[in-house]
This record gives sequence, structure tokens and C-alpha cells, in this order.
Amino acid sequence: MSRSRSLNRDRVIKRDRIMTGFITLLVCLIAIVFLYPYVWMLCASFKENREIYKPLQLLPKQWDLQYFKMLFSGEYFSFQGALGRSLTIAGIQALGATVIAAAAGYVFAHHRFRLAGACLFAALLVIIIPKQVMVLPLYAWLIKLGLNGQMAGVILPGLISGVGILFFSQVFRQIPKPLLESARMDGASESRVFASMLPLVMPALLTYFLVHFILASHEHLLPLLVLQEDDQRTLPLALSSLYGSSLRYPRAVIMAASSLAVLPSALLFALLYRQFRSALRDVLSS
Amino acid sequence: MKAHKQPWIAPGVLPLLAPFFILFALFWLVPLIGGLRISMQSNTLLGEPEFVGLTHFKKVLGDRLFYLSLKNTALYTLGNLLLILPFATLLAVLLRRTWSRLRPLLSYALLLPALTPPIVLGVLFLLVFHGREGLLNQLFVTPFGLKPINWIKDPSWILPALVLQSTWRWTGFMAFFIGCGLEGLPRTTQEAASLDGAGPVRSFFAITLPQLRPVLIFCAAYLFVDAFAMFSGAYLLLGGSGGTANAGLLVVTYVYQTAFFPHNEFGTAAAMSLMTVPVLLLVCWGLFAFRPKAASRKAVLK
Repeated sequence: MSRSRSLNRDRVIKRDRIMTGFITLLVCLIAIVFLYPYVWMLCASFKENREIYKPLQLLPKQWDLQYFKMLFSGEYFSFQGALGRSLTIAGIQALGATVIAAAAGYVFAHHRFRLAGACLFAALLVIIIPKQVMVLPLYAWLIKLGLNGQMAGVILPGLISGVGILFFSQVFRQIPKPLLESARMDGASESRVFASMLPLVMPALLTYFLVHFILASHEHLLPLLVLQEDDQRTLPLALSSLYGSSLRYPRAVIMAASSLAVLPSALLFALLYRQFRSALRDVLSS
Repeated sequence: MKAHKQPWIAPGVLPLLAPFFILFALFWLVPLIGGLRISMQSNTLLGEPEFVGLTHFKKVLGDRLFYLSLKNTALYTLGNLLLILPFATLLAVLLRRTWSRLRPLLSYALLLPALTPPIVLGVLFLLVFHGREGLLNQLFVTPFGLKPINWIKDPSWILPALVLQSTWRWTGFMAFFIGCGLEGLPRTTQEAASLDGAGPVRSFFAITLPQLRPVLIFCAAYLFVDAFAMFSGAYLLLGGSGGTANAGLLVVTYVYQTAFFPHNEFGTAAAMSLMTVPVLLLVCWGLFAFRPKAASRKAVLK
């Protein structure tokens, strides 16, 4: 009796293994489809124009770094400058948005007051009507404020984040009340209590920073209006204007620039992957 | 009622709330009100504007292209939701059953497209969608004996091309979210179901899916707003135009065209963007209204 049962269990385990192997293979295939364009893009940054328009040919005839050199020499646009501006804008914006959203989220999580509902409604409005939709009046207003052509003109509107507030109000809800009470006992102000809670929600802070950083560095429409001069362009703007400029220049340069443009976000994400996962699991499962 | 005993604002929290509300007022509320003013003035961004009342609104209401762009955006958004959500859910379920050592690597690889600037996606997708030599045609269309599709030029394929691009971009990311949601679900209900003899498929639809609802609604809201605000991908793929016969004309692109190139009608464009606001509000209200009370709060708070 017991022998046949253990045999049966062995069979179930074996079947499970085969299943796992099969599913792993399937997901690997999907992943390859998702990644193929990237690998192609990286390879294309070594190719001549003629080679580039054959998407099925993956590897270049020769691995020549000349297009990367052209990119860094600033012959077409100042890559370093554009990348630097993109990172600066995204970094400041993400940092500011994280702190501001966390502060407001903390208040909504731990305080009841009559205006709270109206405040949350404001946060929802910001989500529902994103700045891409209101970009024209926003641009006109930025001109009036004298922020046209300034990095601040892109950064300041990006500091408002409705999603961030909802996210953090959920995050701070998980901090037990007694902990807060003991911090308040010492006579600390609310701002002090908030600051002392920050280390406890580090994964969530990093997660939100990362998401906002990525979205901010992708932004196209508002920078397109506000930062029009060549020496003000962010990386997406520089790439799209190079792309539209002419068909003569070596396409490999834009492939090289695009390959490098993915790097900052991808690296940051790889570094923070664990924190991201644990923070999201906590928030989504509560 | 208890609410009357509550103060208007809790003591000591003003410094924490103030930054958000100052910025909200300055860069959201004021532009909105300013937009209302601009939309009732003649088409000048700088210089002396004239008050023209509701002329712009009337003009937009009579504009065939505005309705077309709304329709395109609605189709695009719907296509996104219908393609990405099921595919991402399936992918999340599959990912959980992959070999555990490869799992982090696989889910990272799958969400890499979300980390890519849309402009780069545009560059890549020109290649994928390219007329005869494009990847999609060479791999999936001509081998089946079909005529190559001119994805970007053929009006009936422009929107599907845009949807495919967005699917490729967001599916892995959404699968990641849904996967995190799956991990947080209690195992007990699942086990109870399998003891009662429910198969994996049945227990997925009867138990897992309803429990995932908050996460899925969050994903849907995210995709909805992203699709509605879509500009970058279409801008590069279609060169800032609406594509052939304006088949790929989206609302944000059309607003941009009206305001700057080629029309230069700032007031009309402002009226147009204001008119999308009620549409957005209505749809989001609909999205949030269709669910039971208990789930609703959770979903709003992600």
C-alpha cells in the first residue's frame, strides 16, 4: 500500500518537473521575443546604413566602434550633455516627488480630518487628468512665470504625483499605531515623526523614486515645448530630432545612442529589483 | 455624526501637506483655469488677445478630425486594455511556475521594454513595422503566404501597430505587478478549492481572479491614463502626423498639431484639451463605479 502511494507521489513530482521545464521554456521564448529588438539595436550600432535595413540579419559584418566614437565626439548632437540634462531633470524630479508624496501620504494614512476627502480627491484628479492633456495651458502659464526654456519649467510640474500619494498612504498604513504614538510621546512634531518613520519604509521610497525617475526621463511632450533650444534638449528630444533630421547620417549613431539611453533606467532597476519587489508585494497584498 | 467632531485639518500636519497643495494649485489648478480663459480668447499665445466667447468650443464641436481623434484614442485605449491585461495575467501565472532560479532574470527581461524611453521604442518599431523588410512581415506575415502588411502606411493597420507597440512595452511590467499581487494572496483558499476538487483552471477563474481584482483595476487605470496621454510613440512612428488618412491621429497629437504645427490655433487647442476633461472624468468614474464597496477602497489606494 505505502509503496504504491510513494510511487504515485514520485510520479506527481516527476510530472510537476516536466511541467516546470515546459513552462520555463515557453516563458524563455516569450522573453527572447521581448528582448530581440534590444539585441538587434545594440548590434545595429555597429552596422552601416545598408546593413541596418535588414532586420533579420542580427550580427554586423564587423564590430567597429566608430559609431560610438562619432556619438561621443558630438558631431551630431552633444550626447553627454543631453544625457546629463535628462538625468538631472529626472533625478531632481523623482527625489522631490517622492518626498512630497510620502509626506502627504503619511498624513492621509494616520490622520482623520474633514478636508482629507477633498485632498484625496485632488490626488485622484491629478491622476485622471495628466499633464499631457493640460499641456497647452500649462505651457502658457510657464511662459508667464518666466520658466520657458528653464529646466525648472519641466521639473516643477512633475513634482505633483497623485499615484504617489495613494501609494504612500497605503504604505504608511502598515506602520503600527503604537510605534507612532511612542514617537509622539517624546513631544516630536508631526514632521519629526514623519522623518523618523522614513527608514522603515525605505523599500517603498526607493520603489517610488525609481518609477518616477523612469517616467520622468521618458517624458517628451512638455520638454518638447519648454526646452526648445539645442543646448537645452533632453535625450528623448535630441534622439527624435536626430531621427527626423535626414536620412544621410549613419543610422548606427542613433542606434548607439538609443542603446546607451536604456542603460541608466535598466541599471537602476536591476540594482533595486529586490526592494521593488518586496515593497510592491507589501502594498498590493494589504 | 462623528465627522463634526473632526477638525478641518489635523494639528501639525500643515507643513507636510503644504508642498503638495502649493504645487497642485500652481501647476495644475491655475493652468486649468488659465486654459479656460485661453479657450475663450482669440488664437494668440503672446500679444493682445480678444475675448471670443465660446467660438472655439463651437468650432471644435463641428470638427470632424476631433471626433476622429477621440475615436482613434478610444480604440487605441480599448485595444491596449483588452490585449495587455489578459496576456499579462497569463504571463504572471506562467512566471510563477517557471524554474525558480531563472525566475528573477526572466521577469526582469520581460519588463525591460517598460524601462525603455518611448522614443527608442519608436526607433525600434519603425524597423519591426517596416513595409516589406520589417521584422513582423518577414517573420509572421509572408511565411504564411500572406501579402506583406504596410503597418505604418496602411490606414487600417496603423492603430493595430500602435497597440502592438504598447503591448510590447507594458505587458512584462503589468505581469510583474500582477505577479506581486499573486504572491500576496492567501494560500488557504486555493488549497480549500483543490481539496473540493476544483481543477487549476476552475480555481483560477473562481478564486484567484476575483482576489486579483484590486491589482487588475490598478493596472487598468494605469494603462488607461497612459494610453490616453500617448504622444511620444506615435510622434516618432508617424512623424508627428496622424498617419495616412489620419488613421493614427490621437487626441494629444491633434491638440499639439492644432496649437503649434501646422495650425497655430492656440485657443482652439486649449478648448479641445478642456473638452477631453469631462470625457476622462466620465470614463474613470465608470471604471471605479463598477465594483463592490469593499474592493473599491483598496483599489483606489492601489
